Amino acid sequence: MGGQGIERREILRILSAAAAVGQFPGFCKWSFACGHLGNAVAQIRPAVYRPLFFTVPEYALLDCLTDIIIPRDASPGAREAGVSEFIDLMVSRDPELQRDFRRGLEWLEAHSRATHAKLFLKLTAEQQIALLEPLAYKVKSRKGEERGREFFALLREYTVMGFYTSEIGLKQLDFPGLKFYAESPACPHVDDPEHLHLPPPQG
Amino acid sequence: MPKQTYDAIVIGTGAGGGMAIKVLCEAGLKVCALNSGRRLDPEKDFRNHRMPWELKYRGFGDPKTHPRSGTDIVGESEYVEGAWETGPGCTTAPGTKWISARCSAVGGRTNFWGRSSTRFGDIDFRACSLDGHDVDWPVTYEEIAPYYARVEKMIGVASTVQNRPSNPDGFYLPPMNFRCFDHILQKGAEKVGVPYLPDRIAQLTVAHEGHPACHYCGNCTSGCEVGAFFSTPFFLLPSAEASGNLELWTNAVARNILVDENGQAAGVAYIDRTTRQEHQVYGRTVVVAASCIETARILLNSKSRHWPTGIANSSGQLGRNLCDHAYGISASGYLPQLLGQPSFPDNVSDSSIAWMPRWQNLQNPHEERFIRGYSLYPDGGCWEYPAYEDNIEGFGSSFKREMKRRYPTPVSIMTQIPTLRSDKNYVDIDPVAKDSLGIPLPRIHFRWGENELKMWEHAKKASADVLHAAGGVLEYVAETPENPGYSQHETGTCRMGNDPKKFVTNRFGQTHDVHNLYVCDASVFLNCTDKPTTLSILAFALRTSEYLVEQVRRTAS
Repeated sequence: MGGQGIERREILRILSAAAAVGQFPGFCKWSFACGHLGNAVAQIRPAVYRPLFFTVPEYALLDCLTDIIIPRDASPGAREAGVSEFIDLMVSRDPELQRDFRRGLEWLEAHSRATHAKLFLKLTAEQQIALLEPLAYKVKSRKGEERGREFFALLREYTVMGFYTSEIGLKQLDFPGLKFYAESPACPHVDDPEHLHLPPPQG
Repeated sequence: MPKQTYDAIVIGTGAGGGMAIKVLCEAGLKVCALNSGRRLDPEKDFRNHRMPWELKYRGFGDPKTHPRSGTDIVGESEYVEGAWETGPGCTTAPGTKWISARCSAVGGRTNFWGRSSTRFGDIDFRACSLDGHDVDWPVTYEEIAPYYARVEKMIGVASTVQNRPSNPDGFYLPPMNFRCFDHILQKGAEKVGVPYLPDRIAQLTVAHEGHPACHYCGNCTSGCEVGAFFSTPFFLLPSAEASGNLELWTNAVARNILVDENGQAAGVAYIDRTTRQEHQVYGRTVVVAASCIETARILLNSKSRHWPTGIANSSGQLGRNLCDHAYGISASGYLPQLLGQPSFPDNVSDSSIAWMPRWQNLQNPHEERFIRGYSLYPDGGCWEYPAYEDNIEGFGSSFKREMKRRYPTPVSIMTQIPTLRSDKNYVDIDPVAKDSLGIPLPRIHFRWGENELKMWEHAKKASADVLHAAGGVLEYVAETPENPGYSQHETGTCRMGNDPKKFVTNRFGQTHDVHNLYVCDASVFLNCTDKPTTLSILAFALRTSEYLVEQVRRTAS
């Protein structure tokens, strides 16, 4: 049984070979956020990201919204993880997403103008949050804002997709996978199967 | 050039075809295997060890080919490209929804399967004697058990001896360990009288027969680069190739079976996918193992003077009796006990490692409002993608905190329900539609029956009960199973039985009408039972292949 077949070091070689990554030209923060690409990428990093699908004002609004959804606080947020670049890439490949995102951003701008006579980006942080909360929480929802709520759900979905598949995002979850374990990881609380006496939660 | 005649032509290299290839080659038969797609190079083609940010679309796939509104995409992903068929594999009759997932790479779906490997038992083979529905299988458990044992030793299955009346025990490697949520759910299941045990998983917990032990990276269904779980290319093809008796032709799409002047099988007509040219290959026997629907398609497309409705179809049963699992997550939620706890490598298999094996209708086949029974497969904990985001409202720092707090807590329960055989569920050939190579497409007729929908209702409640009893919060209950075809556990279309008027194949998987034509996949199964199909495909294919060798030797001597 043991000792046959592929050696452990062979497996490790395969694992490390698989970690070699391709580069995706045109992405700055996102590639940059993948630290292991090293300095070579930092040098080719374009100063300003040129969106594939969104107009420059749309993209600025999108970037701001992702940053409100997952802000930088004690840890980095959506902006550091390049989430809006990810969304731009995904949207650029799917006409239905293009329609939904464009209409959604338009709706939000119109809503902002109707409420405050200003572009969303020109509002104070408090005003921005006050506009978004009725779209985000059921108890705060208002009649007539259904399209806004739908858009917010879509936007948050893609923000989460972009953030929690980035190195920054998965590090925040302390993603434990894709590692090499000698045996299948076992629950460490053998004396407490119901898990009623765990140490106090973190965070 | 004189035409070469092989001892056997095997169509398909999945579990059934792979086993046939191994057995026939090792017995000294000259085998030509036809595979409809290419051969994968695990080191290049399997990207299972990539982090999501190392993939262009983060593992979600190119939205151009995987649009958001696209439904029911099974198979093709960014982690493995060019292994699955992307064109339509079938058409559907009005009212039928069918998800067609065809892996054309060498090894077929064994490259990416879920690895759950439990034996069928007499509760399945003799189900008709118990509850009166349909017919018994033409085999008994006693007859098949030795083949199961040999297959388990060949592929390595991790589990425990459980003494469940619904599930005969086998030969097992050490089981995988339970994780926190397993223990919590197990306690809950205990309270409501539901068994919660290690599933039977063909994933190597120790090195086995020359294959390395699993390293629990948790991305199995994207393919395993080191072959630490059973797949045809890693486990069955090497010895066949070493025998010098195998020619494996890739991108060879079987179109129909050729017949001689007596209507017996003479070979296979296939289309080379790269040149789109049709060719013929000749053999003394033909083994069809293209998976249930494709097998039926090839045989139904094999019309001749002798076989006006498809080869070996004198019974009229070819393509009939399609079964599938009513399948899907029945309930999900989270375990508040684990809120805010440190993350833990819960995902060790990209799938379930525990099960709640059938507990219904065991004392008495009619104790429930439905006949037969189903099994549940729980999963949860820290996976790569935090899919629970849907259940958290809001945005901002509080949302971020809650995402982290919830990370170890999600749990879901998957249900696997057998459909009963029905005259309404079958495959025929679409009179019009053809695939890109010009081969007529199969047409699926399939609807859930009353029995399986009653089971779904039962399973929903049982799943919710287990979750509640475990102290969990129930967040989602699925009203219906996934669309048919989703489980990829389809069976039927060439059922085995002793009566040539009622069954396509005999008890050995040999067609009644054409004695040198064999079927080596789940097509021969009487129904799908509540168990997954692969282990049984391997066991039955082993038996069929050895029977075939015996027949060939008998004719030769």
